[in-house]
Amino acid sequence: MLVFDHVSKSFGDLRAVDDLSFEVEAGEVFGLLGPNGAGKTTAINMAVGLLEPDEGVVRFADEAFDRNPRDAENRRSLGLAPQSIALYEQIGGADNLRFFGRLHGLRGSDLEERVVACLDFADLTDVGKKVVSKYSGGMKRRLNLAVAIIHDPELVLLDEPTVGVDPQSRNAIFERVEQLRDGGKQVVYTTHYMEEAQRLCDRVAIIDRGRLMALDTVPALIGAHGGPGNLVVRTGEGESRHETTDPLGTLAELQARQAVDHFQYLPPDLETVFLNLTGRALRD
Amino acid sequence: MNKIVAMAAKDIHILFRDKLGFFFTVFFPLMMAIFFGAMFAGLSRGPANVPIALVDQDRTSASERFIERLGQASGLAVEQIPREEALEQVRRGRTAVLVTLTPGFGAALDNPFVTTPEVEMTVDPTQFAVAGMVRGVLLEAAGAELQDLMSDPARLGAANSQNSLFFESLPPSSARDDMLTFLDLSPRVSSLIDEMGLGAATGGNQGFFGPPLEIAQTEVQAERPGPTNSYATSFAQAMLWTLIGGSVSFSMSIAIERSRGTLMRLLVAPVTARHLLAAKGLACLGATLFASSALITLGITVFDVRPTSYPLLVLALLCGSICFCGIMMALSVIGGTEQAAAGIGWGLSLPLSMLGGGMVPLFLMPEWMQRLANISPMKWTLMAYEGAIWRGFTLNEMLPPCAVLVAIGVIAFTLGARRLRWDTG
Repeated sequence: MLVFDHVSKSFGDLRAVDDLSFEVEAGEVFGLLGPNGAGKTTAINMAVGLLEPDEGVVRFADEAFDRNPRDAENRRSLGLAPQSIALYEQIGGADNLRFFGRLHGLRGSDLEERVVACLDFADLTDVGKKVVSKYSGGMKRRLNLAVAIIHDPELVLLDEPTVGVDPQSRNAIFERVEQLRDGGKQVVYTTHYMEEAQRLCDRVAIIDRGRLMALDTVPALIGAHGGPGNLVVRTGEGESRHETTDPLGTLAELQARQAVDHFQYLPPDLETVFLNLTGRALRD
Repeated sequence: MNKIVAMAAKDIHILFRDKLGFFFTVFFPLMMAIFFGAMFAGLSRGPANVPIALVDQDRTSASERFIERLGQASGLAVEQIPREEALEQVRRGRTAVLVTLTPGFGAALDNPFVTTPEVEMTVDPTQFAVAGMVRGVLLEAAGAELQDLMSDPARLGAANSQNSLFFESLPPSSARDDMLTFLDLSPRVSSLIDEMGLGAATGGNQGFFGPPLEIAQTEVQAERPGPTNSYATSFAQAMLWTLIGGSVSFSMSIAIERSRGTLMRLLVAPVTARHLLAAKGLACLGATLFASSALITLGITVFDVRPTSYPLLVLALLCGSICFCGIMMALSVIGGTEQAAAGIGWGLSLPLSMLGGGMVPLFLMPEWMQRLANISPMKWTLMAYEGAIWRGFTLNEMLPPCAVLVAIGVIAFTLGARRLRWDTG
């Protein structure tokens, strides 16, 4: 279990992460959402041991003991798929997997089994020997994810894993993430795409300016912070939009006044929650 | 036209916003101009003095006078040292030329009418251009001596008295009588020329008796081995450039790992930063060692380069590679991106190579620049390579450059490694 316990981190005057606390359970996809500069990457870097908190503790906790990700040996428990495609493009996909597998201590038949399994996981078995530079964007993304799990870690951190891929590859990645969850892994998933978080994440933490704004399941977040939905109606006078928490009642009221040709109810979603919590001002 | 001007203005604006581009466009050429200007003009203090060693085996007032004249000649820095030490200096490349005034030199200088004064010149065979220059200065000094003699009635008379005794001892003949008459008249002619102020106008009487100085030239390998051929020196320089290229390439590789995210992935793996740095250092060491070894192997097998000591060559190769591994690590943290690493790498390597004798021999530089060259790892690398390939260094002679190379390597690697760890974590 990954635990952030009142963690803070500053860079000069900038407080990148401010008293952040959460826990990620086994078999859970945990979404980390926030606008640009919210502190997501700083949090990820602390989770993988690249940064040390100024205050608080980050640890892998289990029944026996707490482990600090700053200790190199403890990093066997985690796998990271960075936002950029972090692969050696001049060598084959299988060789990338082999190289990172060796770094994680895999050898011999264990290593080869994991390479085969990860190529299969990424649906790259047929092109495993091909150099990565010849891969499509989607294939590279899937290999980027496969490399993160070559050593079968307990915790997998996925930093915007679907950036720049087509819908088919995105869907394939969703399926792989769900496989990981079903396999009992803890998955931390950062994304800008709300529909991804809504589809994949069991719980979502929304952070802004380093602070935790809300943390719950998606339905609970929508219930607490989504506000009213929108009823869009088209009449002879044109289209109009009405905020409402009772769409049927509102529709009846409108029908009583004039004939409604067409209507559509847009319930609050995670994006609404996100904007309500972080504001609509642009972040650069 | 406005569109063209606008686009050109944009490109210039971008160039000047790009610090690296600005550096290479403005500061780098400026640096080159200052470097070459300083090297060839001595920063307004005239050309550099070429160091030569001088041994006075004659030890007469005439030889001392000649040495003093050489010391005043522009272009030479004369140092009198024992002959064995001087030969060592030439062999080590610290001095290009050794001039020896052999016994009898002074007597011949004072009376060149019977015997032409003679000097021995021992030269580093790679420094033939300097040898030519020194030869010219020696002839000029001897010519000036002859001119002084011809315009000094007292000295000329003393010489002629000596010569008269010689001619008087010969059997009587009209030629002997004519010569005795000439010897008797010549001091008076000299006085007349002096009184009429014609000495300077006529350029003196040098050349009357042929060249004022005989120079016997020997190369240093006559006593100790020198380069078997020109490839011995060119391969040493090529090996240096292999190290430079390798270190710049590897420094870029770290920057590439950083920019493409694989460095982060490596640091997240269960390896310590120390492992990572050791691997990078080992890869750089192996690659540069392999490349420089392959080059010298080619030189030995194909171009007849014959190292004077294979064990010392191995030592020099190893120390050179260690040094440039350290430099690689330092460069990799100075340049955050691959472009910056390459730019800074080459931007530093080129002037340091020039300063270290990688392009122009050190002795041609002003003294202050030669002292400054001690900061250039390239100087010490070349010294170690040449020491093992053709200068015939002993182990004791090889230790100082090797120690400097290892020290530079360790310090640069440590600084780079500390910065890299800090930079990423």
